[in-house]
Amino acid sequence: MTSTSQAFLFDGKAIPFDSNETIAMALDRAGIRTLGAGQGNSTGRYFCGIGTCQACTVSVDGTRMEACLTPARIGLQVERIASVSL
Amino acid sequence: MSDREVLVIGGGPAGVAAALEMARGGLKVTLCEQGPRLGGAIHRQPDDPSRRVRVPKAQRQRWQALAEALAASPVTVLCRHMFAGVEGSGAVLLEDRASGRIVTRHPAALVLALGGVERATPVPGWQLPGVVTAGGLQMMMKSTGRAPDGDVLLAGSGPLLVAVAAQLTALGKAPVAVLERSTSAVSLRALAGLIRAPAYLWEAAGYLLPLTKAGIRLQRGASVRSIVPAGDRLSVTIVDTIGLEQRLVVDRVALHDGLLPNGNGTTPAPNGPFTVLAGDCREVLGGVAAIADGRLAGLAVLARLGQAAPDLAGAAATLRRERRTQSALNTLFDYSGSDAAHLPDDTVICRCEGRTLGQLRGMLAAGDRVSAREIKLNGRFGMGACQGRFCAEWVAAFVASQRDGQPPQVAEIVGSRWPVKPVPVSAFVDLPPSSPSE
Ligand SMILES: Cc1cc2nc3c(=O)[nH]c(=O)nc-3n(C[C@H](O)[C@H](O)[C@H](O)COP(=O)(O)OP(=O)(O)OC[C@H]3O[C@@H](n4cnc5c(N)ncnc54)[C@H](O)[C@@H]3O)c2cc1C
Ligand code: FES
Repeated sequence: MTSTSQAFLFDGKAIPFDSNETIAMALDRAGIRTLGAGQGNSTGRYFCGIGTCQACTVSVDGTRMEACLTPARIGLQVERIASVSL
Repeated sequence: MSDREVLVIGGGPAGVAAALEMARGGLKVTLCEQGPRLGGAIHRQPDDPSRRVRVPKAQRQRWQALAEALAASPVTVLCRHMFAGVEGSGAVLLEDRASGRIVTRHPAALVLALGGVERATPVPGWQLPGVVTAGGLQMMMKSTGRAPDGDVLLAGSGPLLVAVAAQLTALGKAPVAVLERSTSAVSLRALAGLIRAPAYLWEAAGYLLPLTKAGIRLQRGASVRSIVPAGDRLSVTIVDTIGLEQRLVVDRVALHDGLLPNGNGTTPAPNGPFTVLAGDCREVLGGVAAIADGRLAGLAVLARLGQAAPDLAGAAATLRRERRTQSALNTLFDYSGSDAAHLPDDTVICRCEGRTLGQLRGMLAAGDRVSAREIKLNGRFGMGACQGRFCAEWVAAFVASQRDGQPPQVAEIVGSRWPVKPVPVSAFVDLPPSSPSE
C-alpha cells in the first residue's frame, strides 16, 4: 500500500511515508538518523523503538512526541528539537 | 454487567488477557495502549497488514486467539492513549496522543501491563545515531515488514539477539556478526529446565536453523569495546575472549543485554485505585507467562471488587513453569555488560543528558558518601527524559562496586514521579493544540 503522494514535512523537507508508518520509520527510510540536538554529546535518535527511551522525541505540529510512536500523517510539521531536556 | 469501570494500561498479551478476564467476569473494561496498535513488544502488528514478518507458529496462534476474543468482547480499546501516572487525588491521567489532551479517569481498579524494557549497558559510542537496541531494530522489521538498510552488527547477551538475527536473515539481510558476551556452554541444569518447556525448544530451533544455513556465526565471548563514527557509518572495535581486537565498519549496531520490568509509574500512589501489575512489568517471564499473568491480574481485580472469579490454577501452573524456564535460560547469558574498568571517562552513561562515566567517577572521588539522591539531583543521572530506565540499574551497580556498604537502590535513582513520561505542558491546558487529525 505504498503511495508516493503522501508526505509530511521534517524541518521543511517533504518525507514520503507508507500507510500507517510511524514518523521514525519514514525518517529512517529517508536516511535521516539524527532526530534532534539532544544534550551533551548525545543527539536525538531512534533507539528503543517502543516509546521508553524518549531519545526520538521530535516536535509534531508544535507538540513533543516520540517519533517511534507517532503515525505519520499528510502535512504534519515535524521538527527537530534544539534540546530534549525538560 | 457492573457499571464500575476498570482500566488496563498496555495492549500487549498481559494487558489483553487481563482485560478479557475482567470482561468475562462482568466488569466494564477499558484498555489503553500508547502506540497506534495492540500487540505489545512480541505481537506487534505490521503497519501495513499485507506485509508479514515470519514469527514462530505457536506465537502467532497465541496472539490470534487473544485478538479474536478481544474483538468479540465488550472491552473498549483506546489506542494512542498514554498512561501518564496517578495524580495526588487518585485520578488516573491519560494523554490522548491524537488531540494532545489529558483525560482523567477514576477507575475502580487499575491493571498496569506496561511490559519490559531492554537493558543496554554502556559502551563508548552507544549514544550515536545508528546504534539501537536489538528490540528497536526488531520493531523496525515488525512494523515495516522489511529489513532495515545497511550492514547490521548485533551484540550483547540474550536470546533476543539470536531471534533478531534470524528475523533479519529471513528478510534477506543477514547480520554481519552476532556477538554473544556469554561464554557459558549449555549446562545440564539449563537443558533440564528447557526440556520441561518444549515450546521454547521449537522456537529456538526455528531461529537457529536459518542462521546455520546462512553461515552466520555466533561469536561467543565477544563484545563491543567502542563505537566511533566513520563518515556516515559506524566503526566498531570488538574484542574476543582472549582479548584480541578487531574492527568492523557497519551501518547499524544493535545492542541488547536482557530485559527488565518497565517499572515507571508502577509505584502505588497513595490515593490511587486498587492496582495490580501484570506481565513483564511485574516479572520478566516472556510471552506465554504474560498471558497467564494477565489472567491472574484480572482475577485479583474480580476478587477485590467482589465479582465471581473463575479458578485459574492452570494459569498459576503456567507461571511457575515459565519461571523455571526463564531462570534456566538466564544461566546461559551474561547481562552484566562491559567491565567498567575498561570504560574510558568520556563514556556516556546517561544517554538523555549526556552525563559521562568521568563525571560519575568524579562525584564518587569527591564525596565520602554520595547518596542515591545526590547521584540523581547533583549528578543528573536518572534525571533525563527516560527517567533512568536505561542508566539507573547500571549506575547503582557501578557505585556499589566502587565502595563497601549499603549500595544505592535503583528505585531511589529512578524515583517515582509522575508524569510517568514527559507530558507536554500544553496537554494540561484546556485548549487543544493544533494536532494531527486521525
Ligand atoms: C523490545 C522487545 C522485543 C521482544 N522480542 C521478543 C521476541 O522476539 N520473542 C519473544 O518471545 N519475546 C520477546 N520479547 C519479550 C516479550 O515482549 C514479552 O515476553 C511479552 O511481550 C510480555 O508481554 P506484556 O504484555 O507483559 O508486555 P508488552 O508486550 O511489552 O506490552 C506492553 C504494552 O504496554 C504499552 N505501554 C507501555 N507503557 C505505556 C504507557 N505509559 N501508557 C500506555 N501504554 C503503555 C506498550 O506500548 C506495550 O504495547 C521482547 C521484549 C521487548 C521489550
Ligand atoms: S526510540 Fe525510544 S522512545 Fe522512540
